[in-house]
Amino acid sequence: MKKWLSFLLCTSVCFNTLAQKNISITTDSLHIIELNELTVSGIIKTPQQHLVNFFKSNNAATLEDILSRLPEISILRRGAYGMEPSIRYYSDGQINVLLDGMQIHGACTDKMDPATIYIEPINLQNLQVQTGNSGFANGSAIGGTVNMKMIEPQFDCHNKITGAFNSGYQTAAKSVYESVRLNYALGNWAFAVSGTYRNSKNYKSGGGEIIPFSQYKKVNYSISAKFQYNKSTYFKADFLADDGWNIGYPALPMDVGYATAKIASLSMHNENFRKRLYKWQAKIYANSIEHFMDDTKRPFVPMHMDMPGFSKTVGAFADGELKLNAKQKLLFRADGASTFLTASMTMYQAGQPNMYMLTWPDNRKNKYGFSASWLLQPDSTMQIKLSGRTDMVLSNLTTSEAKNQISILTSTFNGRADFLKNISAQISKKIGQKIKLTSSIGYVQRMPTATEMFGFYLFNSSDGFDYLGNPSIKPEKALLVEASVIYNVKKCRIQWSGYYNRVTNFIAGKIEPSLSTMTIGANGVKSFSNIPFTSIAGAEFSVYIKPQNAADIVSTVKYTWAKDNNNNPLPFVAPLKNITSVKYQLKKISVQVETEAALKQSKISKQYGEDATPGYFLIHTRFGYITTIYKKEVELQIGAENVLDKKYHEHLDWGNLARPGRNFYIQLKIAF
Amino acid sequence: MKKIILSIFLPALLFILVISSCKKEENVEPDPTLGLTKQAEGYAVGAATKVVVYTKEALVYTGYNKFYIALYDSVTGKRVDEAHIHLMPMMNMGAMQHSAPYDNPISENAANHLFPCSVVFIMPSMGGGSWTVNLNVHNHVSDKEGELTIPFTVVDPAKSKMKSFTAAHDGGKYFISLIEPSAPKVGINDMEIAIYKRATMMSFPADSSLLVTLTPEMPTMGHGSPNNVNPAHTGNGHYKGKVNFTMTGLWKLNLDYMAGTAVADTTTQFFEVQF
Ligand SMILES: [Cu+2]
Repeated sequence: MKKWLSFLLCTSVCFNTLAQKNISITTDSLHIIELNELTVSGIIKTPQQHLVNFFKSNNAATLEDILSRLPEISILRRGAYGMEPSIRYYSDGQINVLLDGMQIHGACTDKMDPATIYIEPINLQNLQVQTGNSGFANGSAIGGTVNMKMIEPQFDCHNKITGAFNSGYQTAAKSVYESVRLNYALGNWAFAVSGTYRNSKNYKSGGGEIIPFSQYKKVNYSISAKFQYNKSTYFKADFLADDGWNIGYPALPMDVGYATAKIASLSMHNENFRKRLYKWQAKIYANSIEHFMDDTKRPFVPMHMDMPGFSKTVGAFADGELKLNAKQKLLFRADGASTFLTASMTMYQAGQPNMYMLTWPDNRKNKYGFSASWLLQPDSTMQIKLSGRTDMVLSNLTTSEAKNQISILTSTFNGRADFLKNISAQISKKIGQKIKLTSSIGYVQRMPTATEMFGFYLFNSSDGFDYLGNPSIKPEKALLVEASVIYNVKKCRIQWSGYYNRVTNFIAGKIEPSLSTMTIGANGVKSFSNIPFTSIAGAEFSVYIKPQNAADIVSTVKYTWAKDNNNNPLPFVAPLKNITSVKYQLKKISVQVETEAALKQSKISKQYGEDATPGYFLIHTRFGYITTIYKKEVELQIGAENVLDKKYHEHLDWGNLARPGRNFYIQLKIAF
Repeated sequence: MKKIILSIFLPALLFILVISSCKKEENVEPDPTLGLTKQAEGYAVGAATKVVVYTKEALVYTGYNKFYIALYDSVTGKRVDEAHIHLMPMMNMGAMQHSAPYDNPISENAANHLFPCSVVFIMPSMGGGSWTVNLNVHNHVSDKEGELTIPFTVVDPAKSKMKSFTAAHDGGKYFISLIEPSAPKVGINDMEIAIYKRATMMSFPADSSLLVTLTPEMPTMGHGSPNNVNPAHTGNGHYKGKVNFTMTGLWKLNLDYMAGTAVADTTTQFFEVQF
């Protein structure tokens, strides 16, 4: 089932006009989209539109704050920064996290740098979350795709600089946030630049305890240029850079001294609804990530170490939509990407020579893929969609140093070639004017990650084991079944989704009792291996009520259940969780009260050293005031999160690390 | 047609021949002693043969030393590639003398003009004691036999390459020398040790009776490494296996010895390797 959660972020009047266009798409979505309307295909979910409002009431929110509000997404947290998204239990190599369709591989062996950290909300146009059966169009994956779409330069305000400035302060981490975005258009050209600065100190958890090593600092800047070649074609060049330094990860034994990302792309876009191939784009891109991780600031470390990592990707893709006839269309994508990774560790002990090894032995992955979806609309109440994707993935070690080191694990490794296949079928049916049913079935595969193939004694502080890669590990495969019901009346919309996934060759750590640990104090060594199968099931429920024009109520519930073939619970399964927001807008003033509640999670993985996580109940309040001063739109926001100052953590938080306690924030936005 | 083919192909063929023959001429045979250190030279009196001894390392160390011996006809100066060489190391301590384990050259034919052989110096040269190696050379080209005694200064290496123990099961004295890894790297390394048992002060025959267990360890971090192969006897007292180093630094190669089911060495001997 294809789901698009469209999140619109407007930082200026210019962008507001853009947003309105997109809203018109989303409000369209309650009926099945007519093929000849040629809008976004599939089903678009609107209840989450409310979370946009939620987000808009806190301009300083990070992308993770927004993501964590989506019912399909949970967040794996290792500190105040670099939180990792998971879609319905799946994370890391099981999902695609893309920036405008581009692949970005983190340079950290400890997953400190998911690609989501590079997009500041002021640069985000929308967020597309696609779950399993339609989530493989952009790359073989079993868990789906998060694609962050960046704002493009706009032509709306000609020959005039427009933009927005944001400034904010939060008390829990004494954090400062400043950002600016500017847009300028002249003739056929449009330009946009943005910059963001964040400086966050150690935060206070509920009860006032300061969490050491939770600080971070970063700057993020981007520049884009767009050239309108003719009515239907434009070219675009984007460059985005992100520098973070002095970033603490309190749930891990290491911090980051410095991390930098450079992301560049050139693209061509074409849209002409009179043509058969009415929409297509082509893009070439490159990105380079450097990540310097160390523990030099931590006290009581038996041996200090540096763990730098590097990632470089070049890639290209083209996708498009083709109208076959009034009732059928075809979506396709072809892509290729080459990713080089290396990471090493150097340990220092006085009076001893330095100890050095590769933690990601130099390796390269070349991936070539093609996907297509065929859409058929036999009548106005029904839509059928068949999708498929194949990927050819070549993985190899690139240096003799890397080969020598991996020879310790496997005496002969001369590269591997994997051929991945993904297929799915989906059918949607409208019953009357109020109910729509959708169901889908799919068979999907995903490639093991570099860590799972080549990782060398990577310490996992969650279960305390050193992990060894397995160069011959098999790809994960999954059978996915999904169903959803949408019930829609004038002032109320209810949606329920349920899914069952059976993952075979599930990749998990297997204890190697005969091997000695590398990390001092580790519990043992695990090597990645395929376990026969796991079953993952769950449901999401959301309700949106608009009792009167000025009020909105949105509430989401999610629940996940996951067991392995021995009926043991899998680790990192979120418990039942509900987020409910009530917002009241009175002309220039808005008031929002939000509650966040999770039940206790006692279905835990003992193998992973998990313990039960208590439930919690939080209240957040937000106030907004919008006015116009000197013809500039000025928005002031204040609020209090975790008003009750509860000391709590979520089950997915590493090391039972307490989350921030009561946090007051103040936020000023000036649009011009 | 035939003519055309000939006129094209013959010159081409000639050209290739010329090129390849030129290349051969340029390909002067490399010096077989390249990278080796000359330790001593002298004349085997009676065999009319000049003897030059080379080693891989700059110095001669306590433990296993690989020797490469080059022989020359002392009159013509031509290399002698067929000979019998017999070694006899000797430690002279004034009041007493003892020998040391050694391997004579395996073949009467030189390999790449050199005769590889080895001596295990079981102690360093000291104030009161000095090492000599007596070489008995039977020059097969001239069919003459002669002798030469060469003094050696033996020093202890930075990391010991030789250990000994008195066995618990038979009371014998065993000498263990580390041969490989000589150029350690992160990854799989060849592991080779040579074991000799003292029969008399003058005789240290190769031993093939022990079962060796190898346990590498990084002492500063207290960890080992996976997938090592215990050294097993391959001939002439040499035991070969594999040792894996997961990182650079200082490693201990712990070795335990069994004779059948009996413990041969009650302590755990180890070699240190640092890179
Ligand atoms: Cu890191």
